[in-house]
Amino acid sequence: MKATIKVLKEQFKYFYLVRRLSVYELRSKNNDNYLGMAWEIINPVFQISIYWFVFGYGIRQREDIPLTENLSVPFIYWMIIGMIVWLFFYQSIIQGSKSIYTRIKMLAKMNFPMSIIPNYVVLSRYFVFLGMFVILILVMNMSGYYVNIYYLQFPYYLLALFVFTFSLAFVMSTLSTIIRDIQMFLQSILRMGLYISPILWNVDTIANETISLVMKLNPLYYLIEGFRFSFFGIGWHIFNDPIYTVYFWSITIILFTFGSVLHLKFRRHFIDFV
Amino acid sequence: MTISIEIKDLSKKYKLYQSRSERFKDLVLPKSYGKDFWALRHVDFRANKGDVIGFIGINGSGKSTLSNIIAGIVPESSGSIYINGQASLIAVSSGLKGDLTGRENIELKCLMLGFSMKEIKEMQQWIIEFAELEDFIDQPVKSYSSGMKSRLGFAISVTIDPDILIIDEALSVGDKAFAEKSIEKMKEFKAQGKTMIFVSHSINQIKNFCNKVLWLEFGQVKKYGNVDDIIPEYENFIKEYKKMTKKQKSVYKRKVIENQTVRGNK
Repeated sequence: MKATIKVLKEQFKYFYLVRRLSVYELRSKNNDNYLGMAWEIINPVFQISIYWFVFGYGIRQREDIPLTENLSVPFIYWMIIGMIVWLFFYQSIIQGSKSIYTRIKMLAKMNFPMSIIPNYVVLSRYFVFLGMFVILILVMNMSGYYVNIYYLQFPYYLLALFVFTFSLAFVMSTLSTIIRDIQMFLQSILRMGLYISPILWNVDTIANETISLVMKLNPLYYLIEGFRFSFFGIGWHIFNDPIYTVYFWSITIILFTFGSVLHLKFRRHFIDFV
Repeated sequence: MTISIEIKDLSKKYKLYQSRSERFKDLVLPKSYGKDFWALRHVDFRANKGDVIGFIGINGSGKSTLSNIIAGIVPESSGSIYINGQASLIAVSSGLKGDLTGRENIELKCLMLGFSMKEIKEMQQWIIEFAELEDFIDQPVKSYSSGMKSRLGFAISVTIDPDILIIDEALSVGDKAFAEKSIEKMKEFKAQGKTMIFVSHSINQIKNFCNKVLWLEFGQVKKYGNVDDIIPEYENFIKEYKKMTKKQKSVYKRKVIENQTVRGNK
């Protein structure tokens, strides 16, 4: 508990720095390209179009996704929401887990705590995500899914997504500094993650209830469904299933606490692991 | 006399592993695996404010490890260290990001050191002038020559005005004019009464600049005292060492390693 509070305090105290550093992070990644930061948007757009082409259009045409009794939406709109969340999550975890050991040599002797390193790396991805999110809102409205009262849920889900992703990246940043293999392990697990998360296909179509329940244990499912509820104006997802909300936050808090304890235990010796 | 650095019974242990499985076992199991390598053993020394200390010793004697510990980059394994004020290490091109331009690097580094944007704007002009980078300041650092990099690193480090300055071979790169300029700056710091540590192989630089010398051998303090007392002795040692045949040198080196390596017990 003490560890959690300490790490939290560090995050807030250095928030200005976190923000500035995340901008430099993005800049240093894209300085060489002629199109610069535009690639941060171009890249996911390409990726989404490929998935859409393969799963939604030509090769394996999908039917509309039934959401409520009288609402079905075309696969592409349904998928695109999950995809954007997933791309943020995936890149944040991969880069977040590398964040400490790749920077430690440079950052070991600076006037800030190392717990903010994964934070600014995740935040730099989050900026990109927010950009994509704004585009997504435009696309949705142009396609006839208009702004509705349930958009009020967005701040909550945007925050929850960041907190959850950061917590997981924070745990991984310590683990993969100590054991580098974690990095490899993560990469292969996450590649699979796309297919076992409810992004490219609808969990409700699974007849087997146990499997469908197991799928829903994935915290990403909670977030993605929340976004979908809002975009398509289905309802208040937060209150729809309170137990699910409690479950999501328990997982997040456990991850963050575990990450804090682990981080504080090892941070003095990070440099010896490099 | 105020004490600036006080180090008591400081040791630094590194682990040497024969294989990956050994490394893994050591991490997971309570029993200890692998050999211990003592980069520093029972180092005691004290520096007063205003001292300029040269660290000398042949390669692998622990000079860099000690200066890294004083700078707070590497943690010690045992013993205690007291630092009065903020220590800053200047190493060649320390912590510059190759993808960013020189200007961005200045901002980034100063931000991380806790300066506000306003202060940085003020410092920037001075840094750019001192580093003599001119048009290159808006080019990515990876296109810099090594001299440019170390000039920029040096300029940033001296602007932040630390209480204790640790200079690790930083002045050996760059041309003569810049080296002289840096020495001038160092002298200014010296006049201000800052504590400085010089890690160098150049006996001349140490003679000119330092008032005390810490001579390290096998990770232990061999001698610590005034420049005039120790440098002649060190010069003799270096002469002897140079005279040694290849075989003698390797025997000597092996002795060093055996001295510092111990089968570990946790």
